[in-house]
Amino acid sequence: MKKVLITALSIFALTAQADFLGSAHNWNNGSSDSFKSAVKAAEAGYKANLAVNMAWRDTGKMIKEAKKLNAAGKTAAAVALANKAYAQTANATAQAAIAGKAGPLF
Amino acid sequence: MKKLITAVVSLGLIVGAASATDVDADRKAFVDYFKSLKPNVEFADYTNGVYAFDEGSREQFEEILDGIPPYEEAVEKGGQEFEKFGLGKCAALADPAAARVKHPYYDDAAGTVVTLEGTIQKCYNEQTGKKLGTMKGKIARISAWISDQAAGEKINVKIESEGAKAAYERGKAFFYAKRGQFNMSCADCHVYNAGKKARADILSPALGHTTHVPMYRAKWAGIGTLHRRYGGCLKNMRAKPIKAQKEVYRDMELFHQAMSNGLEITADRYRK
Repeated sequence: MKKVLITALSIFALTAQADFLGSAHNWNNGSSDSFKSAVKAAEAGYKANLAVNMAWRDTGKMIKEAKKLNAAGKTAAAVALANKAYAQTANATAQAAIAGKAGPLF
Repeated sequence: MKKLITAVVSLGLIVGAASATDVDADRKAFVDYFKSLKPNVEFADYTNGVYAFDEGSREQFEEILDGIPPYEEAVEKGGQEFEKFGLGKCAALADPAAARVKHPYYDDAAGTVVTLEGTIQKCYNEQTGKKLGTMKGKIARISAWISDQAAGEKINVKIESEGAKAAYERGKAFFYAKRGQFNMSCADCHVYNAGKKARADILSPALGHTTHVPMYRAKWAGIGTLHRRYGGCLKNMRAKPIKAQKEVYRDMELFHQAMSNGLEITADRYRK
């Protein structure tokens, strides 16, 4: 009897948990807030790179793709891609910092 | 005392600025670099670009020129378009050969570099009331026809005013600055590694790049402007291309053309 009771309670608990989370929940994703801050940083960096003609080719596409992933509920993948885009903008900013002084090596 | 310090500092800045831009010294160092890179290639042969470096490619190039070059019809059409749209009525293009040799130049009144394509666009707009593109089609055909009229004349870009020197320096910095995901500069391919292979292609020398623009590229199956090529190169380096005829490209063209001063403008505009 005890075993039956424990099994029934376990099934009930798991079912209730699944219902509570709903179908829209992403089981393996980060939070929406982390996406917002990641994409905001990437967009700000990209805008700054564009202003000095030092943007990288794929950064804009990565930001767009990250937004699509987020809209599709794949928040973890979206955050990862937005962070990659941000890393590109940071590298482009580093290039921009020394670009003005560039000259021949001979 | 304060006035004396100000005067000394100002004089220092003026002398510094004047000595900072020495186009002739830059060009000499540039040409000398290529001389040391390829001692057997004559300076005048750089007008043939990459074909000065590789015998096999040159043979193919000469075979193409011996036949009917694929750009011939387009250049002829450019001449017809020059007439049709009344571009000869614009003072800047009235003598097409002189126009090719004069451009690019720094317009002190406007405070900007003026390219041949920029002048064609302006004139076309004055004559037709319409806008002209910047990279291919009509503008490339007309520009190629104008350049053909100057074939055999030498590139002679002048950098004289302070404004011109500043634009030249900006263009020079753009040329040598590393950019894009590959962290490469124009010079990385077309100076330091010129003549070496990038996959199946031989990297062309920057010296002589501007003698045959606009060029016909087999890859494009058509004629394109120098700025179209700039965009393609940036894309290859995984940098975001800048729109043709924007100030940064015009500044770089000023530097880029000045480095080829003394080389003949050619009508042989075929490139792979």
